[in-house]
Amino acid sequence: MKTSKRVSWILLAMAIVTIIFAPPRLSAQTATAKSSSGNGGSGAVQWSVQVDKVNPGDVDLEPAFRVAIYENLVDELGKTKRFQQVFRDSDRNTSAVPNLLILKTTVQKYTAGSETRRAVTTVSGATKLTVRSQLCTRGGQVILERTVDGNVRFLGSNLRATHNLARNVAKTIKQSSLPEPSLTAPAQGAQ
Amino acid sequence: MNCTVVPSEHTPHGYMLMPHRVWTYLILLIGCAVGALAQNTSQTTTVTTPFSAQVTHLLGFGTAPRNAKGTLSIQDNALQFQKEGKPAMEVKIASVQDVCLGDQSRQVGGVPMTLTKAAVPFGGGRVVSLFAHKNYDTVSLQYVDESGAVHGAIFELSKGQGEILRKELVAKGVRVSQNEDAATKQSTEVPSENK
Repeated sequence: MKTSKRVSWILLAMAIVTIIFAPPRLSAQTATAKSSSGNGGSGAVQWSVQVDKVNPGDVDLEPAFRVAIYENLVDELGKTKRFQQVFRDSDRNTSAVPNLLILKTTVQKYTAGSETRRAVTTVSGATKLTVRSQLCTRGGQVILERTVDGNVRFLGSNLRATHNLARNVAKTIKQSSLPEPSLTAPAQGAQ
Repeated sequence: MNCTVVPSEHTPHGYMLMPHRVWTYLILLIGCAVGALAQNTSQTTTVTTPFSAQVTHLLGFGTAPRNAKGTLSIQDNALQFQKEGKPAMEVKIASVQDVCLGDQSRQVGGVPMTLTKAAVPFGGGRVVSLFAHKNYDTVSLQYVDESGAVHGAIFELSKGQGEILRKELVAKGVRVSQNEDAATKQSTEVPSENK
């Protein structure tokens, strides 16, 4: 009798433990499933991105601005966690990456500002940049195209406009829904 | 009276004049030679001394932090940036693909100065802003790493230093972009609003 009672107590304890710990595991699974289905970029398969050099277009843009936009884009896209990897232009390592998007940036408008004029007048001397950002596949298909601004109106140096621009581009891409990457992407051919 | 009139500058022996002239010419000759030699030496020094200048690293050079002040120098075949008390970062000059020169005008004093100017009553800070700016040269580099990936770096140098650095890099075989000349003329500090 004593042995059977002990066994029943053990069984009861095991049942209680199972009841307590089983539901959270299920809810965690649900949460994982939700996150993978909810956000196209943060699932098991993620896009990688390669940032191309900035194309000045017809705009007479100072080289420092081109360099600063490019470097800030690489930094800001890395911060978004939207992409598995962020590559630079001409990186040889991209040949082995299956799901790669290419970010092309073309300058559309540039208004050179003046930090001194901003400091003196407050209302004038803003540095303004407008670019067209395109996310393309290796095959050249454009999957996202946006026009983004980056300005510096009050405080900061003129080059700060490039930082603001890159942040806006990264924010725009983060908020956009990208199509699911296909695992057959590397078969599309080399760059 | 057996007196002879002797001019005050008269020298009793005529031959004594020759050594004076010779000495004068000799001294002049030595002076010129020394001057010329010194000039040559200084020119040689200018050419052979590798570039080194105090700069502000704005962005992009290796793992150097942004807006870091340090020394930018050319060591053998590498461009080196060293922040005080930190290990130096360097990029091989052969990997530099492009160098561009620009200039910009910045307000001096940073945030403390800006706050002080804002606190000055009757807009007096704005008047201070008119004079509290300084022109700098900016040098933009484009280089590649081991995997061929393109990097960009920008340095801010004292006025005039950028041209020296650019010349040194060009002398070592770095290419200058085609629109560099136009970019050099264009300043980020525009004098007129209609730009």
